[in-house]
Amino acid sequence: MAIIEVNGISKSFGSTQAVRNVSFDVSRGRIFGLLGPNGAGKTTAIRIINHIIIPDSGSVTINGIEAGPLTQRMIGYMPEERGLYKKMKVGEQLIYLARLKGMDYEDAKKATKYWLDRFEAAGWYNKTVGELSKGMSQKVQFIATIAHDPDIYIFDEPFSGLDPINSEMLKEIVLELKDRDKTILFSTHRMEQVEQMCDDICLFNNGRAVLKGDLREIKRSFGKNTINLEFQGNAGFLDELENVRINNRSTNFAEIRVLNGESMQGILKTAMEHTEIYKFERIEPSLTEIFISTVGEDNINPKELG
Amino acid sequence: MNLRQILLVAKREYLTKVRTKAFILATVLIPLGMIAFIGVGVAFAVWESDSEHRIGIVDETGRIFPRLQSVNEQRYVDVSAASPDSLRQMVVGEHIDGYVTLGEKNISSNANPEFVYGGSGGLGLQTSIRSDLREAIREERLQRAGVSEEVKNIYDSQIGLDTRKLTAEGEETEDDTGFLTIIGVVMGVIIFISLFGYGGLLTRSVIEEKTNRIIEVIASSVKPVELLLGKMAGVGALGITQLAIWILAFMGLSAAAAPVAGLLMQDQLADASRLSDQTDEAVSNFDPAVLEIPSIDPLLIVYFVIFFILGYLIYSSLFAAIGAAVDSETDTQQFMAPIMVPIMIAYFIMLRAMESPDGSIAVIGSLIPFFSPIVMITRIAISEVPFWQIGTSLVLMTATFAGTIWLSAKIYSVGILSYGKSAGFRELLKWIRER
Repeated sequence: MAIIEVNGISKSFGSTQAVRNVSFDVSRGRIFGLLGPNGAGKTTAIRIINHIIIPDSGSVTINGIEAGPLTQRMIGYMPEERGLYKKMKVGEQLIYLARLKGMDYEDAKKATKYWLDRFEAAGWYNKTVGELSKGMSQKVQFIATIAHDPDIYIFDEPFSGLDPINSEMLKEIVLELKDRDKTILFSTHRMEQVEQMCDDICLFNNGRAVLKGDLREIKRSFGKNTINLEFQGNAGFLDELENVRINNRSTNFAEIRVLNGESMQGILKTAMEHTEIYKFERIEPSLTEIFISTVGEDNINPKELG
Repeated sequence: MNLRQILLVAKREYLTKVRTKAFILATVLIPLGMIAFIGVGVAFAVWESDSEHRIGIVDETGRIFPRLQSVNEQRYVDVSAASPDSLRQMVVGEHIDGYVTLGEKNISSNANPEFVYGGSGGLGLQTSIRSDLREAIREERLQRAGVSEEVKNIYDSQIGLDTRKLTAEGEETEDDTGFLTIIGVVMGVIIFISLFGYGGLLTRSVIEEKTNRIIEVIASSVKPVELLLGKMAGVGALGITQLAIWILAFMGLSAAAAPVAGLLMQDQLADASRLSDQTDEAVSNFDPAVLEIPSIDPLLIVYFVIFFILGYLIYSSLFAAIGAAVDSETDTQQFMAPIMVPIMIAYFIMLRAMESPDGSIAVIGSLIPFFSPIVMITRIAISEVPFWQIGTSLVLMTATFAGTIWLSAKIYSVGILSYGKSAGFRELLKWIRER
């Protein structure tokens, strides 16, 4: 059963249509990726799910309940714009935030202490956030998101601005939450970063959901139409290939999407004539490639795919 | 709306602020600052009277100068011997500040004497010289008319005005309008300062949540209007705490002041009586009650609290909206003006109401909800304001608050989520129209 149901939501700000008639379902116990370039409407959709913004039309239900104060308590939300009260003590602040999510004081205090211990941060309880380093306050931010033990976790661009250690830690937390049958929804514009994590995805472009479903099924449906090529030598031949799209290119590597039934053997032959081949592999396309082929090359700004 | 959430927000707002050094310092320093402010004013007044001007008098009659000198020995010098040219030289050379030439015609007719001066002294000096001259010339005229001592005394008499006030029950009481005027103005000024002080505090608090970027986390738990009301309540409670501290300190001090002052003065008077027998009577007649501060009607304090709260609610909702509309404190200027203007106007109407609490400006001003909190409390303190006027102003203020909080909630709920730039007036209108 779908734990989050998004039914045809639309939202405009002035003349900009941020979200246009978007629908998708998130199933319990899955990791759901909301993917798309910056400005595609992901954050607006997430804010609507969190009942921070009211949609112009359409509806969101969580566990069958219309989004509202009640559903807000079922969600732990970490926004893209992260922050804490700088002058407030870590312990007090975490208790306050957990209580706003409906916990009583004792439970909030217990949860705060438990998580601070788990992050080996028990000594921060009486420190103000302003005294903490950036990495440390990121940890406090995680705790603020998860301390009230909700069923659903929503992370907006969770990896932006995280140092590698916290990035790894967040991935572990997400996987652990999934093991505990929690539901995770996150958004990102760095598609390659999350490919391994997502069970389901929804691709956003210009406020529309252009592709959604089980990630592995989507990939399979595209077939093994892509070549991973490693080579040594002059890469100039890549420019002469026809009916291909080269997505990920460096001095001795290229990800080549083969279009219009162009012969892969022909590409291998051309490559062998110019360079020494280290690796030639037929694979399913990357998420980036799936996105490009879904929305069409002309409809996106490649820079936004960071 | 969920009261639990509002209270949680209010509690955090209150507790984090009440513990800050800034709050403790302000609570201690503001009264000290006010005392220092008044002290400086008094010091100026005292020091001012010391400043001396020297005015030359050319007295052709020889009759006026001695009289002037008896009025103010320091000020007037006889320069009858000097020529007009040398008089001008003396003024230019700043030996004297100016001179007046008096002739027979100034005594026998109503011809105005002429004061020639170098420009210093200002209106105060001119007024003072005029009244000195009037007195001297009048005395001379009376002398020439040969009137009796009795008539002279009539001219010298200074009639004051003793006042008694009738209560509604027709009871005659000590009139304390002077004291009540001070109380009324102090109350008005406290509300005036509070509107700015606590309003500004709220604006900064809203901006802080935006710049800290915590606002979106909060917004995922609390409705914007709950957050807005909670913050207003928290800062309001802070204001009431501060007022309560001041009022209690004031009451404590004044309760202690009368006996202490009485004790000191009795000592002094006793000392003085040993030196001279004349003050014996003063000691026995000394009534410690004159040092007691007349009591303040508890109803007045109730009104003060009500007007303080309503005024705070009306304006703080607007101050919060400003915080939500801007991205940093420096951008608040353009929005502050429309809020500051009515507060300033209210302040000036209050100064008017101080002199004439039942005049039409004061009455109308006290009924306009944006001015009521400051003007009405001053009027209530000083005079008997008909209850329909108080009632009307309370109803209007409540209605105005309903309007400002609606407006503010609209701006607030959109504004807190718009990072990176400050809105203009046009954008605010758009936000208000949004559903």
